[in-house]
Amino acid sequence: MFGEYDFPFKYESENLSLSIAGERGLLTYKRRCLGEEVTKLLGTTQGKVMISPVEPINLPQEVTPYLEIRFTPVACEPDSVQTLYLTFPVEIGVFLEAKGSYDVLDIFTLTSPKYSLYGTPVEGIITRYHESDVFPGIPEIDLVREGVLSLTIRNSSRGWVEVSRVVMDCTGFVLFCGDMVSLTARMEVLSRDLADVRIGDKPLCTGMFPATLLARARMRFIPETLPFMMEYGVGG
Amino acid sequence: MVAWDSVIYGSITLLDLIIFFISVIVVLVIAKIVALYLKRSLSDRIDRDELDKLIKVVQIAIVGIGIWLALPSFDFDVGQLVVIGGTGALIIAFASQKIVGNLGSGMFLLVERPVKIGDTMRIGSTEGTVHQIRVLSTIIKTFEGVYVRIPNESIFNSEITNFVASPARRFEYRVSIAYDADSGAAIAAIRGLLANHPFVLKNPAPSVYVDSLADSGVAIVVRIWAPSKVWWSVRTEMLERIKQLLDGMGIEIPFPQRVITFANTGMKGKQEPGGDNHAAENRG
Repeated sequence: MFGEYDFPFKYESENLSLSIAGERGLLTYKRRCLGEEVTKLLGTTQGKVMISPVEPINLPQEVTPYLEIRFTPVACEPDSVQTLYLTFPVEIGVFLEAKGSYDVLDIFTLTSPKYSLYGTPVEGIITRYHESDVFPGIPEIDLVREGVLSLTIRNSSRGWVEVSRVVMDCTGFVLFCGDMVSLTARMEVLSRDLADVRIGDKPLCTGMFPATLLARARMRFIPETLPFMMEYGVGG
Repeated sequence: MVAWDSVIYGSITLLDLIIFFISVIVVLVIAKIVALYLKRSLSDRIDRDELDKLIKVVQIAIVGIGIWLALPSFDFDVGQLVVIGGTGALIIAFASQKIVGNLGSGMFLLVERPVKIGDTMRIGSTEGTVHQIRVLSTIIKTFEGVYVRIPNESIFNSEITNFVASPARRFEYRVSIAYDADSGAAIAAIRGLLANHPFVLKNPAPSVYVDSLADSGVAIVVRIWAPSKVWWSVRTEMLERIKQLLDGMGIEIPFPQRVITFANTGMKGKQEPGGDNHAAENRG
C-alpha cells in the first residue's frame, strides 16, 4: 500500500477505500475509513500521490509529540541486554508531490487513538497511548494498523528492573516501510525510575524505505531525532 | 543659517546627530524591506510562527549592526557615555517611574516566565489567551475576542492563574439518575463511553461513582482528566454524550421531586415543580 502513485489511483480493503479519480486539472480525492468519508478536490496536472505511514500523534488532533507503549512486564537482570518486538499504532498520511513541493492531503488511522499522562499532572507529559503484546521475534501484523518496534533494553542498573513501558519522542523520527512499518529504539535503564530512550535511524529489515516526513510537508524545519529521558519510572 | 558643525555635546556636532538619525532610519527601512522579502519568499516553505521568529531575529540583527556602524560618527568617549547614560537614566527614572516599573516588571516576567504566548490565563479579572508579551505591557485576547493591554507592572502585582501550565486538567460532572434506574449499569456504560474517547486520559483513569443518595435521585460523579490543550472541548462534548447515552438506555435524569404524606388519610402525593400537585388529584 505504501509508496508513490500516479493519478488515477485506487486502493480498496475491508475497512478502507482510497481513490483519486477524474480529469487531470481537477481530480477528486475520496477516502472512506471506518464509516468516515472525506472528499477533496485536487487542482493538479503533474502531481503524484504518496501514501506513507506517519508519526502516530496527529489524530484526532496533535496534542503531544510523545508515544507511550505499555506491555507485559519484562524483568531484566542487572547488566543485561534484551531485544523485544512490540507493536505501535500507525497513522497513514496521504501526500501530494509536484515540482519538489509536498503537501499533506489527509491523515487517517484504522486504530482508535487514546492518550495518557506519563508522570504527574503538574510536571508530566501527555502521551499517545498504545498497549502491545511482547514478541520474541518480528510478529506478523496488519501493516495498515500497526508497525513493529524493535526495542533493545539495556539494564545498566545494579538490580533487577521490571520494564513495562517505553516512552519516546516522535519529533523527527523516521519510520521505515515495506512489507511492514518499522522502528528501532534503544532503552538504557539506569534505575527503576530512569531510562534513556533513543530512536534508531536504520530499518528493521533490508529493502525497507524511509517514510515521507510530515515535517517536510508541513513546511517545518526538519528536527533532529531527540533522545527522551524517562524520569517517572519504567514499570508500574 | 544652520550651523551644521555646532557642537551639541563634547565632540558631537549637529551634523553627527543628523547622520546618526538618518542612518537609524535607513537601517529601519532596510530591516522592513528585508522582512517583507523574507515573508514573500519563505511563506510557502516555513511554518508561519517560525517565519515570524526568523524575521524578528533578522530585523534585530540588522538594526543592531546598523546602530553599531552609525555610532562611530559620534566619535564618542565611553566614559562620557557612561556619565550621560547614568545621568539620563536617573532623570528618566524620576520622570517616568511607571514606565520604569513596567519595564522592570517586564524583565522579571521574561525571566520568571509565569506567562507564555498562547497560554490561557486569568490575570486579575481578565481571562483570555496571551497574544503578545512586550517590554512594557502584555496583550491578552479575551475569549470574546477583545484586545486587552495590561501594563506589566499590573501583571507582576496581580494574581496569575495559568489554565494550561500543567499538561493535564481534571473536571467533573454530577449526573443524577432516578432511584428506579440501575446505577451499576449506568456507571458501566459511562465508563465504556469514556474509555472510547481519545482525549479522556487512560492515566490518570477517569473515576465514575455514586456520590450521594440525593433528594430527587442517585447522584453519580464523573471525574475526567484531559490534556490541557483540549480540555474544554472534551468537557463540552462528554456531557452531551453522557446525556445521550443515558437517554438511549432509558435512564431518567429526574426533576427535583418531593413525596408528601397526608397525616389524616395516609395518602401520598408526589410534587414536581411546574406540574400539578398529585396530592391534590388524590384528594378528590
